[in-house]
Amino acid sequence: MSETTRLIWTDDDLLSGLAEGSGSALNQLYRQHYPMVSHLVVTNSGSAEDAKDIYQEALIVLYEKVSAGDFDLHCQLKTFVYAVARRLWLKQLTLRGRSPMLRAAPMDDEPADDVANDLAEHQRRENQFAQMAASLDQLGEPCRTLLDDFYIRRLSMQAITEKFGYTNADNAKTQKYKCLTRLKRIFFKDYQDDNDQ
Amino acid sequence: MNTDDMTAFEDTLHAYGRRMAFKTKLDNVHQSLEADAFLPLAEQRQPMRALWNIHRSTLAIAAAVAIMTTFATIILYRSYQNSHKQDQQYGMMMRNIAVIQQTQNKLLNNISGRGRVFQQNPGQVAGSGFLLTSSGFLVTNNHIVQGSDSVYVQSQQGEVYKARIVHTDPQHDLAILAIGQDTAFHALPPVPYSFETLPSDLGERVFTLGYPREEIVYGEGYLSSGTGFRGDSAAYQVAISVNPGNSGGPLLNERGNVIGIITAKQTTSEGATFAVKTNVLLNALTAISPDSLKGDVLMLNRKNRMTRLSRKQQIKQMQAYVYQVKVFKH
Repeated sequence: MSETTRLIWTDDDLLSGLAEGSGSALNQLYRQHYPMVSHLVVTNSGSAEDAKDIYQEALIVLYEKVSAGDFDLHCQLKTFVYAVARRLWLKQLTLRGRSPMLRAAPMDDEPADDVANDLAEHQRRENQFAQMAASLDQLGEPCRTLLDDFYIRRLSMQAITEKFGYTNADNAKTQKYKCLTRLKRIFFKDYQDDNDQ
Repeated sequence: MNTDDMTAFEDTLHAYGRRMAFKTKLDNVHQSLEADAFLPLAEQRQPMRALWNIHRSTLAIAAAVAIMTTFATIILYRSYQNSHKQDQQYGMMMRNIAVIQQTQNKLLNNISGRGRVFQQNPGQVAGSGFLLTSSGFLVTNNHIVQGSDSVYVQSQQGEVYKARIVHTDPQHDLAILAIGQDTAFHALPPVPYSFETLPSDLGERVFTLGYPREEIVYGEGYLSSGTGFRGDSAAYQVAISVNPGNSGGPLLNERGNVIGIITAKQTTSEGATFAVKTNVLLNALTAISPDSLKGDVLMLNRKNRMTRLSRKQQIKQMQAYVYQVKVFKH
């Protein structure tokens, strides 16, 4: 909280901050739109937990668009978040077998086509990541930890060499490459991606 | 190619890593914000209320349909009830001959040649009637002779006389006929029964004679109520079994006094027959204009000659005075 020195955050500030991975920008963004999405979900037969999940998923959509670098917002950030959250919650309701009726009209200046494309892209990535998680689970030790450390925890090659007790970094690299190949085989064994084919 | 693939896959893995990291970050942010109470606590709604909100429009339509159906049913039922009330519950005891005649045709007594008319055209409606005076005045029900072209009466011996309608009282369902003009009619001995003007008591043993079929039929029962259908004070309720054709027959008490005229029965309950009271008949008689009597005098018999007779003797005495009324309509 103490790092919040700026008094007013514009949408652009927030987005660039989000792309850079600034903690205070994320903090501010999170606070700004949470009540709106929470209200949307809770008044449409969702729980507080659902609200949190939907909001975070919407922020992930935003984050991944921003970090890809090709994001130009045609409307208010608020409208975008609302539109994404609204569609996500509708989908969730349908998955739960409830009637997909929301007592929440879309906002007026909502870029419907853009959001639909973004969500399709998001869904594709979601499938990919789910497959990735499953593949990682199937991959045995020590490969699992090695890849986790390198790609997710972002440890340096040096740190990994020390942690796993390899004689040198090249050795670790070779090991990592082998692990990656195995993971890839598992991954593509039963994954068909429409776009990357 | 292999390296290209590898790079793409590595990118995916990188992206996956970023995603996981961002998720963790979001969770941390959420936790810290929640801990500092920066996030509004979502007001926990009742699930019922949420359900109500979702289905409100559907429920409103369903309720509207239900209400309309209910009222439509009630209205339809009421109008049906109103139009069919009389027919359903209050069955007038006249007989429709056309239906029965086929089986009964051969039983027709055909002593006088005039009976032949009934073989060609058996008439449409039949009921009973009985003599008021030996000079040929009869009483029967108005619903039997209503809308008739010609009315004939047939005695128990099978003699047929042409009758003239002297007077009708649709309100009390009474009709006075005269057969004195028919040349074939010869005055009978004075009627053996008299007319009871005082109200009869409940439980009074009563009997009737009538023509539910071509033969005269005897029936007996008791007086069960001082009022008729739906509290009609002009009638009695009698527990006696009657059938179509009994309409217009006399209702007599033990001593052989006429206390009423059988008119109808309630079809919805067993053993509820209605008979118009004698004093209503007497009132009707005084209302007859002298012109319709055509010079004849309508003097009721006051002397009862059956008081001390046994029931069998009473019936034997009076059966010649009870007639079958046959009506022709177009």
